Amino acid sequence: MKNVYSTKFVNATESSLAALGAAAIDLAAGARELYSVFVRTLYYVFRGRREPGALSRQMYEIGNRSLLFLSVTMGFLGMILVYQAGLQASRIVPDFTMLGATYLELLVRDFAASLGALMLATRVGAGIAAEIGSMVVTEQIDALYMCAADPIDFLIKPRFLASLAMTTSLIVWSGTVAFLAGAATAWFAFGVPFATFFNPQLVDAGDIAVGLAKCLAYGAAIPIVSGYCGLSTFGGSAGVGLATTRAVVNSSLAIIVLNFFISGAGFLLFPA
Amino acid sequence: MSAPPMNKPNAASSNATAAAAALGASAIAFAATVGAMFLLLARVVRRLVPPRIDARETLANLYKMGVKSLPIVVITALFTGAIMVIQAATIVKRYGAEGLLGWGAGFGTLREIAPLLTALMISGRVGANNTAELGTMVVTEQFDALRVLAIDPIEFLIAPRFVGIISTLFMVTLFADALALFGAAYTGNALLGVSTTTFYNGLTSGLLNFGDVATGLIKSVVFGLVIAVSSCHFGIVTKGGAPGVGRAVNASVMTSAGGVFLLDYITSFALGG
Repeated sequence: MKNVYSTKFVNATESSLAALGAAAIDLAAGARELYSVFVRTLYYVFRGRREPGALSRQMYEIGNRSLLFLSVTMGFLGMILVYQAGLQASRIVPDFTMLGATYLELLVRDFAASLGALMLATRVGAGIAAEIGSMVVTEQIDALYMCAADPIDFLIKPRFLASLAMTTSLIVWSGTVAFLAGAATAWFAFGVPFATFFNPQLVDAGDIAVGLAKCLAYGAAIPIVSGYCGLSTFGGSAGVGLATTRAVVNSSLAIIVLNFFISGAGFLLFPA
Repeated sequence: MSAPPMNKPNAASSNATAAAAALGASAIAFAATVGAMFLLLARVVRRLVPPRIDARETLANLYKMGVKSLPIVVITALFTGAIMVIQAATIVKRYGAEGLLGWGAGFGTLREIAPLLTALMISGRVGANNTAELGTMVVTEQFDALRVLAIDPIEFLIAPRFVGIISTLFMVTLFADALALFGAAYTGNALLGVSTTTFYNGLTSGLLNFGDVATGLIKSVVFGLVIAVSSCHFGIVTKGGAPGVGRAVNASVMTSAGGVFLLDYITSFALGG
């Protein structure tokens, strides 16, 4: 009897270990695939064929069509952040003269890029994965291979370049929107005059460098991660929904993890 | 509208008419979507008082939405806490007030960033999945099959998902709050040399109170409601086969994100300090 139980225990341990190992192997394989997509995209940026019009079409799709969404969400975000910061400051010192300067510094260094990119990951990432995923399940990717066209060159490269350019411009724009919305809130809720709020004295070259590095990193991460999720779609139309979900989640995770490393590096490289 | 312009002088005015018509059409479509969401919410609420929802489906959804989301919530929360400390570090160093690090990072994390980022991650994982699942059911006529069997789809499919998403987000936010502070404490220790004891003292020394945690939790319930309504609505109204499911997922995720920010603003002001 005892023997049976111990066998059961061994089996249970073995199967849970096997599940853990399988998950780890899946993760490693996924990371390697993702890395390969990234490297091949970089290769094709320099060596690939140029399809006229593809880049500007993608720039319109990624940039212009996200403008309204990003402006609205970042406008609201600016109002919320200043309101919370004002509440936080009022608990220690009832003095709002540095509110605008601190807010601008945080916005340039982190919030504009990171939260704007999370919004873009939702819109752009889902769009890229859904489009490429439905091309996979309708065998259009196989058709591309038949025509000796690498889907990375043909589909991912234009999205990668367009996203690099448009993420940076959209984040600069939406950061401006967030700052103006924040200025309005500070005036409305705490009576801070605009002249006091518009105070760039805390923003230095380090903040701008970290902010721009984040824009470029996120702009590169979103199309690569979502393109990879789209290309690895399987299982028909239900699979496209799954691929979209994975694209949004994985691009958001990529942004949060990249944010941690770039912020940490920025903190060590440019001490205040 | 369908007739081509008769002669050239009319072209400008017909352009203006078309633009006005397009604007009006999108305004009507927007109002119709918002109205449909409120109707859906009202129907679900009617199934919940007194509760008439499928228990087995509710449990299955809670497992799928809550337990299965834990890995991404853990990663998001730990990194979020770490990022908040790095951001607060510059300000804290400038004033040399290391004892305030816990308060500085904790205030923003508990009230704003942890509920917001958790909601965005859950919207991406659970909301998008939910729309895809419901949308696939609609385009394969499984909703009609339920109605033929005299099973109310709202009672059987929608209400359990509402309960699942809202309670998942509430519990997961509580979990994320704790983990974010844990990540923040150890990052502060490693990066700034502020001991974790100092960090926890900064959290509990009286500058933060239960109201700050409660604000974040109330927000999480509101965000859960937004994600539930928009993901179920866009799932139910899916049209046009498999490509329609992709479009529905996209619309659902964008509406959830926009709605979360809008209601974050409203609840922040309503709850005040």
